[in-house]
Amino acid sequence: MNRTIILLGLLLISIAAFAQQSPRDMQFAPLKFDPVEPTRFVTENGITVFFIEDHQLPVVTMKAHFKGGDIYDPSDKIGLAELTAKILRTGGAGQRTPDQVDFDLEFVGASVGSGSSEHSFDLSLRTLKKDIDLGMEILADIILEPKFDTAKVNLEKSVTKDQIRRQNDDPGDLTRRVFYQTVYGSHPYGQYPTLKSIDNITRSDLASCHKKYFSPDNCIMAVSGDLTEKELKELLREYFSNWKKTGIALPIMNEAVTSYKPGVYYVAKDINQANIRFGHLLMTDDNPDHYAFEIMNFALGGGGFSSRMTSQVRTTAGLAYSVGCYPLFRPLMGVHFSFCQTKAESMSQALRMMFDVINDVRSNGISAEEMDLAKESIINGYIFNFDTPASLVDAYAVNELRGFPADKIKTDLEKYRAVTLDKCNQVAKYYLNTENIVIVVTGDKELFDKPLNTFGQVNEVSLEIE
Amino acid sequence: MNHKVLISLTVLLMTLAVTAAPQEMQFDVERFQLDNGMTFLVVERPTAPVFSGFMIVGVGSAYEKTGNIGSAHLLEHMMFKGSRLVGTTDWNAEQDLWAKQDSVWARIERARQESRYIALNHPEKLAKHLVYIASLETVLDSLNAAGSEYVIQNEFDRIYTRNGAAQFNATTGYDFTRYYVSLPANRLELWFLMESDRFKYPAMREFFAERDVVAEERRLSVENNSDSKLFEQLIGTAFIAHPYQIFWEWRSEVNNLTRGDLMNFFRTYYIPQNTTAVIVGDVKLNDVKKLAVKYFGDIPSPPDPEPIHTEEIEQNGEKRVELYFESSPAVYISYHKTAFDSPDEPAFQVIERLIGAGRTSRLYKSLVLEKQLCVDVSVDVFPGNTMGDIYPGVLNIYAYPREGVTTAAVEAAVYDELERLAAVPVDPEELTKIKNNIDADMIWASYNNMGLAYYLGSAQALAHDWTYLYRLRDNLKAVTPEDIMRVAGEYLVEQNRTVATLIPLTEGEENE
Repeated sequence: MNRTIILLGLLLISIAAFAQQSPRDMQFAPLKFDPVEPTRFVTENGITVFFIEDHQLPVVTMKAHFKGGDIYDPSDKIGLAELTAKILRTGGAGQRTPDQVDFDLEFVGASVGSGSSEHSFDLSLRTLKKDIDLGMEILADIILEPKFDTAKVNLEKSVTKDQIRRQNDDPGDLTRRVFYQTVYGSHPYGQYPTLKSIDNITRSDLASCHKKYFSPDNCIMAVSGDLTEKELKELLREYFSNWKKTGIALPIMNEAVTSYKPGVYYVAKDINQANIRFGHLLMTDDNPDHYAFEIMNFALGGGGFSSRMTSQVRTTAGLAYSVGCYPLFRPLMGVHFSFCQTKAESMSQALRMMFDVINDVRSNGISAEEMDLAKESIINGYIFNFDTPASLVDAYAVNELRGFPADKIKTDLEKYRAVTLDKCNQVAKYYLNTENIVIVVTGDKELFDKPLNTFGQVNEVSLEIE
Repeated sequence: MNHKVLISLTVLLMTLAVTAAPQEMQFDVERFQLDNGMTFLVVERPTAPVFSGFMIVGVGSAYEKTGNIGSAHLLEHMMFKGSRLVGTTDWNAEQDLWAKQDSVWARIERARQESRYIALNHPEKLAKHLVYIASLETVLDSLNAAGSEYVIQNEFDRIYTRNGAAQFNATTGYDFTRYYVSLPANRLELWFLMESDRFKYPAMREFFAERDVVAEERRLSVENNSDSKLFEQLIGTAFIAHPYQIFWEWRSEVNNLTRGDLMNFFRTYYIPQNTTAVIVGDVKLNDVKKLAVKYFGDIPSPPDPEPIHTEEIEQNGEKRVELYFESSPAVYISYHKTAFDSPDEPAFQVIERLIGAGRTSRLYKSLVLEKQLCVDVSVDVFPGNTMGDIYPGVLNIYAYPREGVTTAAVEAAVYDELERLAAVPVDPEELTKIKNNIDADMIWASYNNMGLAYYLGSAQALAHDWTYLYRLRDNLKAVTPEDIMRVAGEYLVEQNRTVATLIPLTEGEENE
């Protein structure tokens, strides 16, 4: 009874308060960004370890990063790094056959992943605390004593080839691939495995690829979870102390330069939507302009519904479910790309609208309100990049792998805060472009509302799989 | 030989170790209910100064009927258009404008219907009639444009975005619709104000453009995607009666939805006793309680909506369907299964893991690793809510053949494995593996705030009691090899099966 009265009272207060309260006027104190700083230490054999102790759940996560990766693939063996990473995980390790690795991990619900990206190899372990010894032993065996089982090598090669045969099935994947191949040209960032390049890779190529990069002084580990530093150091001693430094010298790679022929790259596919992706090279990831560019791009097309591209193409015109643009910052040259999927009959209408949005921002800039919104969103949401111990500790590891200063995770916030409207509009003018660009359109040109040559010289892309 | 014995021994020792020290997850959840029936679950977790808010409403596309197909999904989209307080400069003027737009739309719909009969009976009048329709469409366009006078476009999104929102989205399922957002911890009241206002006063603004967006989403997600296209055929064939048969709303239905359709749907199902909110993060239970009463306490509770009475009719023989598409071959296989509260459900969930979870699962091992018939094979349940579906769904197997391998060969290998399930008792260590994974998955489910909110909210919405997840865990662990044989023998059989095959259409070939 009493409770009802209290409820009723609260209800009346809330109704009274409701009239003037609007969420757009709600103010909040700035949130202090003060995440735990991981412990950093280097083992005797040279492994750099970042660690966050966290006893909330009985789990441990580990990630081991190695410099190396896809861009170092020999030009006739594109796919080598990726295949090496796959077979490290599936080809057996230490005393265990490939099947035994799978069984032992899955039996306790633990998992080990292995992959390659442009600039690194990444191995990960997720396990319950109680199974940490098993997990560490398998991870160490994979890193130190991979077996490259011949049958598994053959299987992974042939499965990879079948996946290449299927690479044109999905219009989105297809459009993305053609865009990167064209915009990066002969640079390693534009290379994709082919049936032939996979055929060229031998078991000994995989073994020497592993040998070349998997040295402790090339390894940065991120560990978090239900361990003490002492326990972690003991585990590392037990499973990784036999690992000898072999040294590593990565070749210097060139930055990508614009080499493409601007125009339309048409990919014929019998579908009722046009899948569009266009853009150009942008800047490297250490370019200080990237803070302002990111904020400007948020207003342009990166901020979802709060961006001009989404507002105009999706919300107002109803032409697309998915539309926007993003910068991709990479060590050897990033790109700016815009994308949209729209019904074939509105291909040119949507593309023209996206160009107009970009050209308007290039000529007239964004407004102070747009910039403020972008800044607040990036700054207030910054913490979500680091809201679990695993994501926080890994951010430090990846930062060091890239060679950035250790405090970058904290100083970045200040850099975003310091961006001015002038700077946003200056980078818009300098970097944005709708003329000398690559435009990839996948779809059925018979259905398009205007011919593709409205947007530049048309090149037909061959889908032959070689 | 020796090697094998050694392995079994190791496994045995590990099995004993695991059985001796079970590690079962317990969640520290506070539950309370408002007088209007709305349920709140709260987990205080001050690790980082953030929280996740998750709302789950007990309605999805299965509740639609011919004529309003797409309502659940389009309504979910409209929920992002704002509310009475957000996204508008004049709520009352907007209502008037919407009424005008709706009456023009009704005339367009009627005129389009009439054009069929005019074409048939008075073809000479058709041209004039089409001009009339076009003029109505122009009127609607200008009324839509007039709406922009009052609209603060995407303000709902902008307010959350400005406040640093992450994981901000929603999904429409078959049984449930879910709304998510994570915010800095000091924005708890913002969440309550924003969410409660859209749950009281959903804004049907920019309706006609959003309808086009949803139609475009179908093109992207279904019509231009070989997996979804094949899946649509599979599900549409497996079900004859039950509304689970519609994988994705058809454009012909979406294009004719009205605001009235959506508001009826909203008023019937978006009601407090059909809604659960979960808050996980750096919050205090007492604050949540106060704010819940303040913001959601004044919502009245209309009568409970009707459940779905339609039951799927019995299937007495295999059904097969083919799809020609410009893509590589694939074969999807589907078996009717149980609802979440059936006594056979735990065995089904164990079977799903046994045949489909991980590299050591039976189908992956046999079809991908050993026989090397497939590039990939996977298993899931449809609709596939966490912890089970309200009505009987299907167990699906998706297989992608290797170059030169026929779908028939893949099918035969799948059926061999399923027959073995019914004929040979499952190895105890295989069963132990699954039980260990059930425990591990529950721990990982709570690793981040939104994951835990989703997990708890799903259990509450499904069983009307979140602690059901403990009972389910116990039931899963109690599944015996005999249960698996019995359930496999009863359900995973030819008469209960639907098979959909994708046949590649090579370039230049036309699909007749």
